[in-house]
Amino acid sequence: MEVKPKSACDTCAHFNAAGLKKLGVDTSSFDHVIALAGNPNTGKSTVFNALTGLRQHTGNWPGKTVTRAEGGFEYNNEKYKLVDLPGTYSLLSTSEDEEVARNFILFGKPTVTVIVVDASRLERNLNLVLQILEITDRAVLCLNLMDEAKRNDIEINTRTLARDLGIPVVPASARYNEGIPELIQTISEVANGSIVCKPHRIKNIPKNIEKAVEDLSVEILKEYPDMPNSRWIAFRLLEGDQHIINLLRTGEFEEYIS
Amino acid sequence: MKQKNIDNIIALSNDLRWQIGDEFHDNLAEGIYADAAEIVKVSVHKPNGDNRLRLDAKIDKIITSKTWGFPLMFLILAVVLWLTIVGANYPSSMLAELLLNTIHPALKGYASALGLPWWLDGFLIDGVYMAVAWVIAVMLPPMAIFFPLFTLLEDFGYLPRVAFNLDHLFKLSGAHGKQALTMSMGFGCNAAGVVATRIIDSPRERLIAIITNNFSLCNGRWPTQILIATIFIGATVPASFAGIASLGAVIGVAILGICFMFLTSWALSKTVLKGEVSTFNLELPPYRPPRFWKTIYTSIIDRTLIVLWRAIVFAAPAGAVIWLISNIHIGDLSIAAWMIDSFDGFGFLFGLNGVILVAYIVAIPANEIVIPTILMLTVLVTGISGGAGAGVMFELDSANATGEILRAGGWTLLTAVNLMLFSLLHNPCSTTIYTIYKETKSVRWTVVASILPVIMGFVVTFLVAQVWRLFA
Amino acid sequence: MNTYDPLLALLVFLGICLLGFLFFRPNNGWFWLINKGSQSTDKIIVEDILKRLYHNENAGKYLNINDIVRTLKQNDKMVIDSIDNMATLGLVRISGDIVKLTKSGSDYALRIIRAHRLWERYLADKTGFNKTEWHQRAERKEHELSMDETNLLAHKLGNPQFDPHGDPIPTITGKMAELKGVPVSELKTHTIGRIIHIKDKPDIIYKQIMAENIHIGSIIRVVEKSPERIVFHSEGEAFKLAPIMAGNITVSILEKNISYEEDILRLNILKENEKAKIIGISKEIRGESRRRLLDLGFVKGASVSIDLLNPLGEPKAYLIKGTSIALRNDQASKILIKK
Ligand SMILES: Nc1nc2c(ncn2[C@@H]2O[C@H](COP(=O)(O)OP(=O)(O)OP(=O)(O)O)[C@@H](O)[C@H]2O)c(=O)[nH]1
Ligand SMILES: [Mg+2]
Repeated sequence: MEVKPKSACDTCAHFNAAGLKKLGVDTSSFDHVIALAGNPNTGKSTVFNALTGLRQHTGNWPGKTVTRAEGGFEYNNEKYKLVDLPGTYSLLSTSEDEEVARNFILFGKPTVTVIVVDASRLERNLNLVLQILEITDRAVLCLNLMDEAKRNDIEINTRTLARDLGIPVVPASARYNEGIPELIQTISEVANGSIVCKPHRIKNIPKNIEKAVEDLSVEILKEYPDMPNSRWIAFRLLEGDQHIINLLRTGEFEEYIS
Repeated sequence: MKQKNIDNIIALSNDLRWQIGDEFHDNLAEGIYADAAEIVKVSVHKPNGDNRLRLDAKIDKIITSKTWGFPLMFLILAVVLWLTIVGANYPSSMLAELLLNTIHPALKGYASALGLPWWLDGFLIDGVYMAVAWVIAVMLPPMAIFFPLFTLLEDFGYLPRVAFNLDHLFKLSGAHGKQALTMSMGFGCNAAGVVATRIIDSPRERLIAIITNNFSLCNGRWPTQILIATIFIGATVPASFAGIASLGAVIGVAILGICFMFLTSWALSKTVLKGEVSTFNLELPPYRPPRFWKTIYTSIIDRTLIVLWRAIVFAAPAGAVIWLISNIHIGDLSIAAWMIDSFDGFGFLFGLNGVILVAYIVAIPANEIVIPTILMLTVLVTGISGGAGAGVMFELDSANATGEILRAGGWTLLTAVNLMLFSLLHNPCSTTIYTIYKETKSVRWTVVASILPVIMGFVVTFLVAQVWRLFA
Repeated sequence: MNTYDPLLALLVFLGICLLGFLFFRPNNGWFWLINKGSQSTDKIIVEDILKRLYHNENAGKYLNINDIVRTLKQNDKMVIDSIDNMATLGLVRISGDIVKLTKSGSDYALRIIRAHRLWERYLADKTGFNKTEWHQRAERKEHELSMDETNLLAHKLGNPQFDPHGDPIPTITGKMAELKGVPVSELKTHTIGRIIHIKDKPDIIYKQIMAENIHIGSIIRVVEKSPERIVFHSEGEAFKLAPIMAGNITVSILEKNISYEEDILRLNILKENEKAKIIGISKEIRGESRRRLLDLGFVKGASVSIDLLNPLGEPKAYLIKGTSIALRNDQASKILIKK
């Protein structure tokens, strides 16, 4: 298992405070693109503000952010462009309100996707997390709102969680800047490949669907041998997603995976 | 070759889709949740089960109760407005004193010392500077109070409850419950409200929300309402009740706006935007105690200053235009006087006057400068001395003095009431119009959203004026 | 301003309003009438006649010219002219008084029916129009869609087999899935069946059925049958229908031994402080809104309770997977639960 559970990490590199520079809106010549994804109202914009020093509007209701925002930070001499996205419940839908976020997660080619979740509502948040893990193998789970989880007496074992999801898990309370240094460190390690993720794949699918997905992804892999997320493409084709079908038809697809 | 394979893949997926049937999405969603449940079972320990915090549940019980839900909503609106009106008074007059009575003469002094020609000095200092100064004096204090209060409510988690309480009314008018959220955003700034409609995923209902957002009084219009209510409505009752009466009038206009919003939504959804209400689902987040000082700091820095900056950017050229139309003469009348004359008869029909209509035309870019324009133009046509000359915006220190000028210009209680109504019901400002265009990408809907409120404004003021004159 | 009088002004205004109303009033406004008059009605008449013939021939009935003129609410002469025209075009054959469809006539009719049912499907899946409006809208749209547009529509909708009333949609080649079912009015007591079709004509009866909140895909069990009324249980509610209404609902009978769960309820009737498990979402909720509900956690097996009641009665907030989610009653009524 290559994944190091962050919370109990004794040996891994420590946060280098001197190496951090918040760059605000300056996103010129970046080395990595980091997407902030997650359900609505989980604190994505708050995390974004903590990392970039910007003041993206936050508010305690789902749907506060509706357009995507960009900002940057520099850590250990590498520049990161951070993209704050509107909240989404799912990548499987085609609803218009979630289009901006869905498209960026699927086609924006972020180096690392940081999935911000509400620690006290982990189960429902995992719906999106598991979907994202189907399409990317560079992700970090930011277990935000830990203070609220504590207030609700909820205990989370980040070590087993990281093991089951196959990605690093960082507990945080973004509003109080807790866990942000660890988050930056983890992001940089995933971006540089010193942490290699082995994302969870959805298991509890009925046999006939599993088989259909298998068959289709074999065909897709024949055509595009390097496709990292053939299973996801298969899911979308089975769903009849016109967007994906068009991409396949027009061939723009190749661009998207290369 | 490649194309053929791709067609094969698509054909295969079509076949498979028939095989697995239309339960695919259900099964997938259930599968993912089953995985989630397994993972959570191992890693999460919840001694209290899924229940919500006791305190949260208690607050919610009150805020959404049959007896308290609606009264609380009005009470909160009233308190926010009261704090804004009362709190803004003092800093506003201080700013006016500083910017208009101290800095303005000083600038004029410099200008004459430098020997600037009268027109350049007038254009820059009496036109551009005064417009900007006025906007700062009038807008900064109420915004610096209103925005933080609003943000505190927003951070606490009150807005979704408003949407929850009001949704049934929205359903009855064929609109989406989340329109309550965009409407609330509109109380700050209509352009922001229009962008916020993206949370409504049905295109039909989103259009309704965009078109009706203008019925939320935005920060550019609050000062007009407050000033006119203080001068005219407050004066109709004994002095000790003046404050309450004018507050009541302002709240009344805001609520009237909400009624118009429901009415227009209903009318739209029965005619041009026909269709059944789509589904509504809203997550009610837990209450989160706001971080008081931080919220106040950021909302002043961000929202207030940004909105103020926008107002200034629009006010400066508008100030220049006002100065120009008052100082360029055609024959022996200035353009402004000429326009006012030609609009007077038309304005009379609506219980308004030429000055008000011209002011609204000049102020299309930013509603904030309506009142100073009105004052300045009134002085121009009545020829009373009080201001600083033709085309110079000013604010008199006390509401009383302003009232006297307006009364001298022929204003009555009817004019005041209709101005308040017209300020609620007229075209959105230019930024909002542009935002509507960007969001709808349709000239047609942009035109509808811009014209509809003005028409309603004229109809309403017309009816009020006729009925008033019949019975008074 | 010497001619000004507030009363006069008001009267003039009212006059203008009245004129505007007469012009633009829905359906009968002069504006619409003028607009309609300028549209070609020939095509519409021809297609309506073809449809009528097709439906009747399918039911084994043949129509004569008189029948057609009577049932079509159009100018008589225009209808008769159209029939002649259709005969010359080879769409119908007239033998004596009887009008019969030719092969190409029935193909044409199928195309119209296909467009109609696809459009209803589209309205149901992709728009928010009320169910009771689907038919009327499709009646108009069917004449406007070209064949290519129809095929594109079918493709976009994933080539559906049935329209939202449960009627089969003809394929491009004119094939149609067969509907095997029994009208509810003919069921014996204690029969269990699944609703597969609700007739959308005549309008009045359809609207009544819709008002009862009965929908396709629900499982029903007949508990009482008399000449006056038929009573059945479905999803925790009892429905009493007049035979004429019941005759318009078709069910496919399920095996006796299938376990019909009497205690399946609809979420909207859950009371405060009660807990329930979700059984599923009715087929009536489709497309985007179905996906959203699933994503919000309304999946089979999840436990649900009422979190908040509303001062206006609706929507209510349900506690599901640790979060409070507000739903309107019409949507909640399509989520099935078991206490
Ligand atoms: N107590 C606590 N509150 C937090 C924390 N992080 C964020 N919040 C609050 O949670 C609310 C939502 O935060 P946002 O950052 O706006 O959430 P978001 O994910 O960007 O939301 P959308 O843009 O609507 O998707 C705000 O009121 C924040 O102040 C945290 O760590 N602890
Ligand atoms: Mg956000």
